[in-house]
Amino acid sequence: MNMLGRFFRDIIKNKAMLLMVLPGTIWFFFFSYLPMAGTIISFKEYRYSRDGFLASILESKWVGLDNFKFLFSTNDAYIITRNTVLYNGAFIILGLIFSVGLAIILSEIINKRLSKSYQTAIFMPYFLSWVIVGYFVFSFLSLDKGLLNQILSYVGIDPINWYSESKYWPYILVMINMWKLIGYNSVIYLAAVIGIDKSLYEAAMIDGANKWRQIRHITIPMLIPLMTILTLLAVGRIFYADFGLFYQVPRDSGMLYSVTNVIDTYVYRGLKTSGEIGMSTAAGLYQSVVGFTLVILSNYIVRKFNKDNALF
Amino acid sequence: MTQTKKRFTLALTLLIALTMVLSACGGGNNNKNNTAGSDKTNENKGSDNSGKTEEPVELIWYTIGTPQKDVDKVMAEVSKYTAEKIGATIKMTMLDWGDYDQKMKVLTASGTPMDILFSSSWALDYVQNARKGAFLPIDELLTTHGQDIVKTLDPAFLEGSKVDGHNYGIPANKELPAQEVWRFNKNLLDKYKLSLDGVTSLESLEPLLKAIKEKEAKVVPFAMNKDYLPVVPYDYIIQNLPMAISIDSGDYKVINVLETPEMKKALTMMHKYYMAGYISPEASTTTSLDDLQKSGNWFLDRAATQPLADNLWSINYGYPVVSTAASDSIVYNWSVMGSLQAISANSKYPEKAMEFLNLLNTDPVLRNMIDSGIEGVHYKKVGENRMENLPEADNYNMPTFSLGNIMLTYLNEGDPDDKWEQFKTFNAAGKPAPTLGFNFDSSKVTSELAAVQNVKGEFWSALMTGTVNPDEYLPKAIEKFNAAGLDKLIAEAQRQIDEWRAAAK
Repeated sequence: MNMLGRFFRDIIKNKAMLLMVLPGTIWFFFFSYLPMAGTIISFKEYRYSRDGFLASILESKWVGLDNFKFLFSTNDAYIITRNTVLYNGAFIILGLIFSVGLAIILSEIINKRLSKSYQTAIFMPYFLSWVIVGYFVFSFLSLDKGLLNQILSYVGIDPINWYSESKYWPYILVMINMWKLIGYNSVIYLAAVIGIDKSLYEAAMIDGANKWRQIRHITIPMLIPLMTILTLLAVGRIFYADFGLFYQVPRDSGMLYSVTNVIDTYVYRGLKTSGEIGMSTAAGLYQSVVGFTLVILSNYIVRKFNKDNALF
Repeated sequence: MTQTKKRFTLALTLLIALTMVLSACGGGNNNKNNTAGSDKTNENKGSDNSGKTEEPVELIWYTIGTPQKDVDKVMAEVSKYTAEKIGATIKMTMLDWGDYDQKMKVLTASGTPMDILFSSSWALDYVQNARKGAFLPIDELLTTHGQDIVKTLDPAFLEGSKVDGHNYGIPANKELPAQEVWRFNKNLLDKYKLSLDGVTSLESLEPLLKAIKEKEAKVVPFAMNKDYLPVVPYDYIIQNLPMAISIDSGDYKVINVLETPEMKKALTMMHKYYMAGYISPEASTTTSLDDLQKSGNWFLDRAATQPLADNLWSINYGYPVVSTAASDSIVYNWSVMGSLQAISANSKYPEKAMEFLNLLNTDPVLRNMIDSGIEGVHYKKVGENRMENLPEADNYNMPTFSLGNIMLTYLNEGDPDDKWEQFKTFNAAGKPAPTLGFNFDSSKVTSELAAVQNVKGEFWSALMTGTVNPDEYLPKAIEKFNAAGLDKLIAEAQRQIDEWRAAAK
């Protein structure tokens, strides 16, 4: 009873704080924790029951790991895993370099109004849906009316059929993803840069450090904790590919699959006609488990180097 | 140590409490369902005896099509009529063409209350969902509450829409066989005085395509989107997957259609046309031909036909379109299952739903109200079975084929008097496909199927539209299909077909 009393006393003491996290907690409970129970479907052959959803789950028959088989049964398994991990790896590394670089550049612009308008311009693509971006790209790459082919034929080079030449796509996809997402991340870093104590720079200037040295020895070291956290979070999602990027932007062109097929598009194409809920749940569970393992692992490594920068 | 132990116990207690609350919710639900169930049986007994004296029940109907503004208004009228006739009112929910399949998958899987729902071979797959348990088997209901349907429908419809020996839906009485035609932009045909005599095969199109290519630089001679598939005399086990049975030989042997000489020949021809510039270089990623059809900058394409289709197309596009046969007229499983109304497995009033479907498929008054709206508001009658749209019809523009027996609907302006006779002749001329009545059960090969679908995505459109050279890519595709498990699928299909034939004998 003593324990329970203390529990309530704790609640009363921190009621303002607890009230603030309440909406978030409720959201997480209903949309993240409650559905976790649904992963049970990935071990079942889901069939509908007359008595509603819960009865359907309970009455469906167990099939063990059968639902996971399709992810590993062919040599496509290698291609989709490779594509997913390598693309996400490139996005994480390049994203980090460019966003931090951009944030520092933006923070160094003295004219604040200009700085703000650049920031907005870079931020805008983040709000576009991939379908729209897909059409933007199409207007550049279309065979007969595309801007790029018009330029190529103007300088006397044969037009390229972009949507059937897989060799260009790794670059195109990385470029487009950077264009779309950098703005968002750089704003986060910019906020951190602005928050750095100005007296550090003043002291450095008195010591005769130029801009470059100030960035190297003050700005970047101060940003490292934030970089580690954002990177750790990104690593946790390394097995989730951005469906819109890999499906809409290449216009689902079969000839590009060797470089555009990722786990999410593979699952979509394989199951969109059969609609096996068990198998798609299995794919989701697999992605989450791998992501979870990777976060724990990389967090462990970060802890080895610097305890303060780790997530937990 | 004790501290952590205590905390752990607390957490556990909370968890248990939570589980109890949740299971209580679930339990409550179950109870409700059960009582609803027993209510239902009572009610039905009652309705059988006393009919209209009881409070009418509400039937929830999900159907496909762009949601119309006046649906609720029309359904209120419909409900008055049906409450009188069968003691039921109708609540209709329309889901747009592109959303129907996805949304209904979720709604059926999560057990949302509904009574009647649209299903077909191309949206909310009828066979799969019947097997998953989304629909109620209606064999018995058909004999007790749907006798008139059995009398009205061509028996091929009910036979062809059986899944594992049971009926799960009422097919709409409409065109039964599928026939492919070459469609031509008649303006261009006339301009260059081209004749359609002897045009049937893919090869026979060449002189026409050549003439157009030379004279009309802006026109796409052979328009197609990424779903184009050459006509070959094979009956596909699953639509657009390369396992099939020869239509003519009658040997019931499942083969990989990519390995047949007919397919090889067709693809070589397609590639020749592609290289000659008759086909758009972007055909393999094109999803829609709307722009071409609107602007009229096309000469030839292929489409599925029905009686009087040329008129329909010409009206839609605003310029004359003519067509000529590209394939035999054959009754496939998927053509029979072009449009069905099923009763949901969780329907509270299955008998009422069947009574309603019975009325919908046999009663011209109800059928036309559902199709065209309220007389005097959305349409006016101009003859015995002829109508004209009023301006209000724009607020209630329903797809006729997805709402039951189309042969009861009134004729529009310009329709010949013998329209439905023509449909009947067309239906009678169709030849049954070898697998009519057989439905592949993929539950033992789901993982192979998922892998094969991916290979299909990779090669199919490029090969079928002639974009790539079949000499090089056909062997590659065959190899990859087999690596993904197509041979296993074929073996399984063969086994099921043999069983099915043995059972039919």
